[in-house]
Formats: sequence, structure tokens, C-alpha cells
Amino acid sequence: MDYDLGLFTVIVADDNAYMRSLLKTVMHTMGVGTVFAVNDGSEAIETLKRVGQDPSRGGINSVDLIMANWQMSPVDGLLLLKWVRRHKESPDKFLPFVMVTGYADMGHVNEARDLGVTEILSKPYSIQSLTQRIGQVIERPRQFVLTSTYFGPDRRRRKTESRLSDRRKIKQEEIEIIYDDEIS
Amino acid sequence: MTTKSLDLDPKGKIKVRYFRLRNRLKEKASSGQVREPGKFTMKALEEAMAELEKFAEDYPDWVQGQVRELYDELRKAREKEENRRASELKRINDIAHDMRGQGGTFGYPLVTTVADSLYKFTGARAHSGESHLEIVKSHIDTMNAVIKERVEGDGGILGRELLTALERAIEKFS
Repeated sequence: MDYDLGLFTVIVADDNAYMRSLLKTVMHTMGVGTVFAVNDGSEAIETLKRVGQDPSRGGINSVDLIMANWQMSPVDGLLLLKWVRRHKESPDKFLPFVMVTGYADMGHVNEARDLGVTEILSKPYSIQSLTQRIGQVIERPRQFVLTSTYFGPDRRRRKTESRLSDRRKIKQEEIEIIYDDEIS
Repeated sequence: MTTKSLDLDPKGKIKVRYFRLRNRLKEKASSGQVREPGKFTMKALEEAMAELEKFAEDYPDWVQGQVRELYDELRKAREKEENRRASELKRINDIAHDMRGQGGTFGYPLVTTVADSLYKFTGARAHSGESHLEIVKSHIDTMNAVIKERVEGDGGILGRELLTALERAIEKFS
């Protein structure tokens, strides 16, 4: 089955004009219907608020994906991610978020992961790695997890990754599972 | 989906909440055929690669602006006392980070390699003395040569010569 992304709305955030323009062009080429290309995290937040409030777009959840560079000024990708996942004005705290970054070390990867990133796209990237990440977002969404210290996609991608120590600490009656229709 | 369910009641017994949501992206991308694995069309991928090629052709011209900015920051750093160069070195570090992410995307992995090295030489605890600025200059010179000569890929013999010259400069001024 071939993707038809004509109904997709994507925010591309990068303060590097050339990289921003590249990503916007490539998104359109791959069939994405609407691309908002913004200069940094604060413009992305304004766009999210504006699109979320636009009645012609059917209200909330109009933006389907954010692709944000980590290094941006004044509001970087990490702060943007934090706002999307935690801020009371965020229109969709479950919004898929791809962090585009030249930081490849585990410290940075874990930092983004612990703030609830969906996927990380390492730079330099190719069309193949870019489409692979977007395909992953579409095909393999993870359940979201809320604990006292974390909110975001399940950081354990495979069942085999479940940690024994976690299992011991949390009892079955301390877990609640919520499905779409239970979210008001 | 701002909702009460996103707050854990600290007095309650629930410690973990799992949200299992419909895959709305897949529904949108597949006209509801959520069970069938999806893919981008070959045409879309080829067009995306063709667009990337176009950007790659213009990249050397565009990136020269960043190289000029690197030389400018280096000049400003040299005009200052050794212990007052932090802001210029931080700016050089930021540009190096930006460039290391670009080069390989546009077919210039040598830009990525040299920018990565420059990024490491200008980190928070880097030196700021005259000899260290010479190392910074050697990196900028190397990237400038790669871009002006349009040294794509690994650059073959010329690429190896440029990297060897940079290594010698680093050794000399370290």
C-alpha cells in the first residue's frame, strides 16, 4: 500500500534557512499536503497554537508531525519538545516529534528520549534515513507512558527490553491502561 | 488532548498509566487500510532524491557564507585578549556543529569530518591561546579548500592530502 500524505500537516523547524528549505521541499515532494516551515521553537509553538485554534481545520490535532532541529535559537528543539509534551497550552501532548540533530552521542540521545521524543534523525541524513524515520512514526507508534517522572512514547521499543527491576517495583493494580475513547 | 488523565494523582494507587491510542497517522496515510504495511512510492523517493541533488549543487555557494562567518569570528577573537575570546569561540563551535550536520547530506563528507574536528577543538573547555587559534584557522582553511574546489565524497588523493595537512597543523600547534 502506497502512502498518500495529502492530508498530512507537518511543522519543520530549523534556524538554518538552507536545511529548513531542503526539508520543506522534500516533504512536499513526498506528498505532504501542508508544511509549515518555521525558524525556531517559539515560532513552532505559535504555529501549533494557531493551527489548533483554527476552526476551518476542524479544531485540535491538525498538526500530524513535528520535525525540529535540536540546535536552534532562541528556543531549541529540546525546549520545544518539552513544551509539546508538558505545557498546559499544548494542543496535542501525544504529537509525534522527530528530533533532527548532529548530536549523535548517547548522552544527547538519552536526554531527548527522556523528554519524550518519538524518533531521532541524525545529521548528516539521506533521503533513505529520513523516509525510514517517517515510516517508523507511521507504522510503529508506541504506547504512551505516564509516570511521576516521565511522559512520552514507551522508551522500551521491544517487549524483551522490559526491565526486571521495573517489574518488581510496580504491581499490576498500580497500572492503568487508557484507550482513545477514555480520553476526554 | 489536554486531559486530567495526564496527571497522576499522587495520593492514588496508580503509578503508571499507559495510553493505547488509535494510529491516526496510519489511518490518514492509508485511507483507513491500517493493517496493510505502507511505503513511499518509488516515484516520491526518486523525486525527493532529485530535489536533494539540486540542493547539493547549490550547497558550496551557500555554505561559503558560513565559512566567511568563521573567518570573521576568528579575526574578532584574535583582536581580543586570550581570556576574552569565549563568545567568538562559542560562535565558531555553533557553526561547526551546524556544518558537520550538513556536509554529508549534500555529498561533502569531508566538510562533516573537518567540522566535527573543529567542533571538538572549540568545546567549552577548549584553549583560546594563539597556537590554538592557528588550529582553528587550519580547520577553516581546510573546509574552505574542500568547498572552493568542490571536493566531493572522500576526495581521493586531494582529500587525503587536505586531511594530512590538517593533521600536521594540529600536531604542530598542539
